[in-house]
Amino acid sequence: MTTAPQAEARIGEVVEAGSTEFAAECYTLYGAPPLGALVRVGDPAVYGVVYSVTTAALDPGRRVAARGAGEPDEASVYRNNPQIARLLATHLQALVVGHDRAGTLVQRLPAAPPRIHAFVYCCDDADVRAFSEQLDYLHLLATASVPAIDEVIAANVRLAAEARPDGDGFRASAARALAEELANDVTRLKAILRSIQ
Amino acid sequence: MALDLYRTAAQIDAAVAIADFGSARERRMEAVLAALRDGDAATLNARVEEAQGLLAFLPAEAVEPPGSVFDAPAVPDDFSVVATDGSHIDVNRHLPLRCALVNIGGCRLTYGAGADAELFSRPRLRTSDAELFLRDPDTPSARQAVEGALMGLVRTVEEAMALAEAVEADDSGLPTLALLDGTLVLWELGGELPPRGRYPDYVREQLLDDGLLSALERIRDVSARRQVAVGSYISLPNSTEVVNLLRLGLCDLDPVGHCQTHCRALVPGTRRCDAAHGLTDRELFERTLAPGQRSAVFASRSPVARDAYGAHRVHFFYVNVEEEIGRVEVPAWVALDPASLSLAHALVVDNARRGAGYPVALQEAHEQAVVTGADREAFRNMVERALEERGLPVYTSQKQRTKRRPWV
Repeated sequence: MTTAPQAEARIGEVVEAGSTEFAAECYTLYGAPPLGALVRVGDPAVYGVVYSVTTAALDPGRRVAARGAGEPDEASVYRNNPQIARLLATHLQALVVGHDRAGTLVQRLPAAPPRIHAFVYCCDDADVRAFSEQLDYLHLLATASVPAIDEVIAANVRLAAEARPDGDGFRASAARALAEELANDVTRLKAILRSIQ
Repeated sequence: MALDLYRTAAQIDAAVAIADFGSARERRMEAVLAALRDGDAATLNARVEEAQGLLAFLPAEAVEPPGSVFDAPAVPDDFSVVATDGSHIDVNRHLPLRCALVNIGGCRLTYGAGADAELFSRPRLRTSDAELFLRDPDTPSARQAVEGALMGLVRTVEEAMALAEAVEADDSGLPTLALLDGTLVLWELGGELPPRGRYPDYVREQLLDDGLLSALERIRDVSARRQVAVGSYISLPNSTEVVNLLRLGLCDLDPVGHCQTHCRALVPGTRRCDAAHGLTDRELFERTLAPGQRSAVFASRSPVARDAYGAHRVHFFYVNVEEEIGRVEVPAWVALDPASLSLAHALVVDNARRGAGYPVALQEAHEQAVVTGADREAFRNMVERALEERGLPVYTSQKQRTKRRPWV
């Protein structure tokens, strides 16, 4: 968590966008918000939940080579090869979970995806609280086909609970919403609920 | 299939089988190594001077005892390495617009307490007559088209200019090594004395005096304020200037080195000095240099470097960077200043070690500069699209068309 950016910080830009998800490049290496975090992009705002974070070589044609065999610790690998930090980039992928429609927050897909180069902000606690007043967005998450989506849902609920004084109350509401959503898949529901605690 | 790789491989095998890798070559190498060990700089140089104009090959000038070796000096705690490299898309007559693209890439890598890196690339399109031709200021009708080999030279000059700019822009005050890729000797430009270069004097003035040498001078100016060494690095060098110098130690004819008199009628390989035949400086120093060590410093006697470089006369040494023997070329003011020479030696070895055998700063400069096949295709499309948008005719040769869309 130490590398997580400060609340409401501008953390990057959209580099790939579709109706249901978008990808963004972070301004700083390892500067992505945590898994499950709520992010906001563009104006009018589109909201997304981070479902994947990757760090790799900026140039897909260049593989990263191991460089630390003779180094005492990880920090000295970076210090003695200062170019590395410029050649790597952290990317996040987020599922679209809502947008701002004429001043009203709606938890549905926007008519158009965010624009490329739209700025990405990490939502602060107030934003997170406001957004998670409604829980319709959990439907968009629960029906997304991305790897380990149940872990993403649980992480998102935990972060939203931490952003409010009555965290347990929020957990309970989210659990009820998920129980409705996953009524036909008790195994999956139980796994998410265990993870929420 | 365009190239029959099966047949090619068979021919490569045959060529390798007859190549001279055997014991005869080893005996010749021993003789040349002995000449290196016993060679005395003053004697060898005097022989070269005496035989001036009669030699059949280009020898180096020994600046230190030829056989001496030097361990890598200590690396400073904090320092930086700056490098530039270039790539270009040459004028293509199959394109509807006469233009060329030069992309200069570079980096500044700072090591030590303030470890950091800065990478940059600057593409520049050359379209105007002033950019596509070098003109004689005295005879405006005389001009040379900047394309082909001349474009390569112009690019080298731009790399050096970008290097000077990067060195000047660095206000860290740290000891700095500024590196170029390849040779500092623009041998194509020739010297004032015969053999003349292939280009007229105004080309040499613009590319050398106002170009490469001016860039080196700018770096030299910075070196008055802080420790800066500049040089170029050649990986897998094929030069034979040191071996050629040692030929004057192997020659036992009188007077020594009068090739034109003694050996004019002999086939190369049968002359007295031909123990050195086919050997390169690199192979020689593979035998004498331990990891990190450098050879003695030599000065280039190539006509252009001898006549035109002045204080920047090209000197060079070989260095064992563990994976190979590399050649480092430096101007005289670096070679003859012990502190600068030590810095160049230490930082080339250190930077090559960090780059698994090739200076990492040059690797990154290359990566910033490189123009790939896909980039070239994209560039051509961008030129065509720009012309189309303005309603200008877009045409290409039928030859180019069939290359782009080969049909069965």
